[in-house]
Amino acid sequence: MTGRRVVITGLGTVNASTVGGRDALAGALAVGRSAIGPVRAFDATKMVSRLAAEVDEATLASLVDRDAARRLSRICRLALGACLLAVRDAGIAGGPGLGMVVGTEHGDFTSSRDFAQGFLRRGPAGLSPMIFPNTVMNTMASIAAIAVGAKAPTVTMNQPTLAGDLAVARGARLIVDRRAEAVVAGGVDELFHDVYQRLAEMGALSPMRGRAPEGCRPFAVDHNGPVLGEGATFIVLEELEAARARGARIMAEIVETAWGNVPTAPHTGRAVRADHVSPVARMIRARDLTLVARCYGSGNGDPAVDDWERALLGRDLGGRADLLPPVSLAPRFGQHGGLGALRVGAAALDAVHGAPSVLVHGIARGGCRTAVLVGPAL
Amino acid sequence: MSRPGPRGGRPDVVVSGLGVVSPYGAGVKSFWTGLAAGICAIKPVTLIDAEGFRSRIAAEIPAEVMGTLGSSRRRSRADRVALAAAREALADAGLQGTDRAEAALLIGAVGGGMLEGEEWYWEETRRGAPAPGMRALRSILPFSHAETLGWRLGLTGPKETVVMACASGAASIALGADLVRAGVTPTALVGGVDVLTHICFMGFNALKLLDPTPCRPFDRDRRGMSIGEAAAFFVIEDAEHCRARGGRVHARLGGYGMTTDAHHITAPHPEGEGMIQAMRLALEDAGLPPSEVGYVNAHGTGTPQNDRAEALALRRVFGDGAVLVSSTKSLVGHTMAAAGSVEAAATILALQHGLLPPTANLVHVDPDVPFDCLPDTARPAHITAALSNSFGFGGQNVSLVFSRDLHP
Repeated sequence: MTGRRVVITGLGTVNASTVGGRDALAGALAVGRSAIGPVRAFDATKMVSRLAAEVDEATLASLVDRDAARRLSRICRLALGACLLAVRDAGIAGGPGLGMVVGTEHGDFTSSRDFAQGFLRRGPAGLSPMIFPNTVMNTMASIAAIAVGAKAPTVTMNQPTLAGDLAVARGARLIVDRRAEAVVAGGVDELFHDVYQRLAEMGALSPMRGRAPEGCRPFAVDHNGPVLGEGATFIVLEELEAARARGARIMAEIVETAWGNVPTAPHTGRAVRADHVSPVARMIRARDLTLVARCYGSGNGDPAVDDWERALLGRDLGGRADLLPPVSLAPRFGQHGGLGALRVGAAALDAVHGAPSVLVHGIARGGCRTAVLVGPAL
Repeated sequence: MSRPGPRGGRPDVVVSGLGVVSPYGAGVKSFWTGLAAGICAIKPVTLIDAEGFRSRIAAEIPAEVMGTLGSSRRRSRADRVALAAAREALADAGLQGTDRAEAALLIGAVGGGMLEGEEWYWEETRRGAPAPGMRALRSILPFSHAETLGWRLGLTGPKETVVMACASGAASIALGADLVRAGVTPTALVGGVDVLTHICFMGFNALKLLDPTPCRPFDRDRRGMSIGEAAAFFVIEDAEHCRARGGRVHARLGGYGMTTDAHHITAPHPEGEGMIQAMRLALEDAGLPPSEVGYVNAHGTGTPQNDRAEALALRRVFGDGAVLVSSTKSLVGHTMAAAGSVEAAATILALQHGLLPPTANLVHVDPDVPFDCLPDTARPAHITAALSNSFGFGGQNVSLVFSRDLHP
């Protein structure tokens, strides 16, 4: 990126492993325990898949004011909780310069289901005007914007696998382009029975009709699908000089971002489809990679995504084969819309601990590809 | 918020390709013909069983038009509409080779392939057992449009699906323009798409925001909006790049403003605070004083709240009566995520043709709307700059400023 420099000054996460700011995430990453276990939110015993990484309801309830929580859907509470934690971690105030970018894969399907069920049970009289607004995917961002006073652009991005990464990249772009002075950027998804059941039936989740046991094993020989998680992770991005001027605790710098498309049929991933021209390929190939200490990847156990990511990075990283396979956080937190932002948060913590450069990479079925290069704010 | 001044040395962005599928039919030509003639395309709804609802009308893309857009069972109605509009825009721009392959793709969307997903879900609920055709669910989410277009059109630039309710289409144009201005890509395919869905039709009925008769924006007796469906796409481009390759310029995208009310999840700020700021930022970004804007294509939904707040905001920005205003939603309905791009297309065509589309069904102008809202008949007016407003649920405000390209 050229022009204004963008730094990370705060982090908030509500995930199956931990809840809190930068210290909480650092703690969870240090322990390294997987939060994946048998689904508790609904009865999955008769489903093909039975594992997930879930956020404890009692923990979530402690994050959002009880009166407000009664009016909010679960996914809104996840987003709001993580945004409030991020803003608190950064010590930043709302106003006309604060923007927001929220990435999500599935949005609020619970509300869509509930709204439709009202009609199917009782006809037009069963429709709830209170639920309907939640069916629009930008509701999480709007609720959070009201809570933190974000009056600059508030953008919601719908994207599989990379929702959080893409939101961070777009958030940084808003600052570079002077559309905002600071941006709360990240992603959110909830575990929802109907989505889980359909994905399992379609063979989109581990064990994907395979014989190996169910589980999240990115890049392993016996990988056989992702395991869903839920949660929200948001980071606070700020223009460097503004952050310094207010004495912010700067974690790291977003050195460069790129996102692009590797044309492939919808919902597919193909290891054979090379990427010679996307902005991501160009960015990685143009960088001095000798200082890259670690590469996080979006590989989540889905063989199509894992193999494709390994192949793409193998070409683009040149002689840095030691960075492969990329580090996946999916086995710890489960696949969800906040995971990409959590990867960026982990990279920022690496920078805090001295890593000179960390690459956060992603590729999704359907061809969206992202890269976020994180380094110390020097 | 600080700004580098008008453009700040960054490249001019121009619109070099247009594509529209609307209730008037497929193609920019039919769209403009309908608007210029002031034809209201809002009719009894056919896609949805509207029995028992307050409103039973909508502006649908005619079945015979849909029949010309391909019949792939893998593609949702929305995908087919989007693909047709996007292809027209690319062909209109004459974008080929690397210029086309490296283009960014930003799509404003909300409903995705929900129409087909709803059919499947309702069938399963009726049966009480798994229904066939679960494949429809794979295209249910908004990002499916970007996947379909990115694949079929072979685009490798930045790809984004922007969900900002009724401001989605306008936001896709704005955010795409930033990528061009920043030099990330010289060209971008941007726009919005939405088709009718049960959830949308039922939801706005439940909120009592739909007028039982075709909507009457800015009318004293207005009772709500009318839903429509459409797609509108644009090729936007670095002006120098466009001229160097011999491309045609439809209009210059001078600038935009994007703000958030942070006030209420469904209601606009009562004083139009975020709307005012969005319009002022757009004018500042374009380097234009309000007096140079001759026409505003209003968000103008026809709901009492929106039109009141927007009129208040227009008064604060432009002054009473100082600009001509119309709402094309009275002609093609509120096309939801596509509205911002459909109305941007109307604004550009108005600049090109020197003819401002009217506000249909406007009989008794609201006394709180001190503007000439161009009732019923299009009006010739040779303006050089125009502004298009889009405001969405969640207090999302986007204003776009277009001007005639005076430097061919």
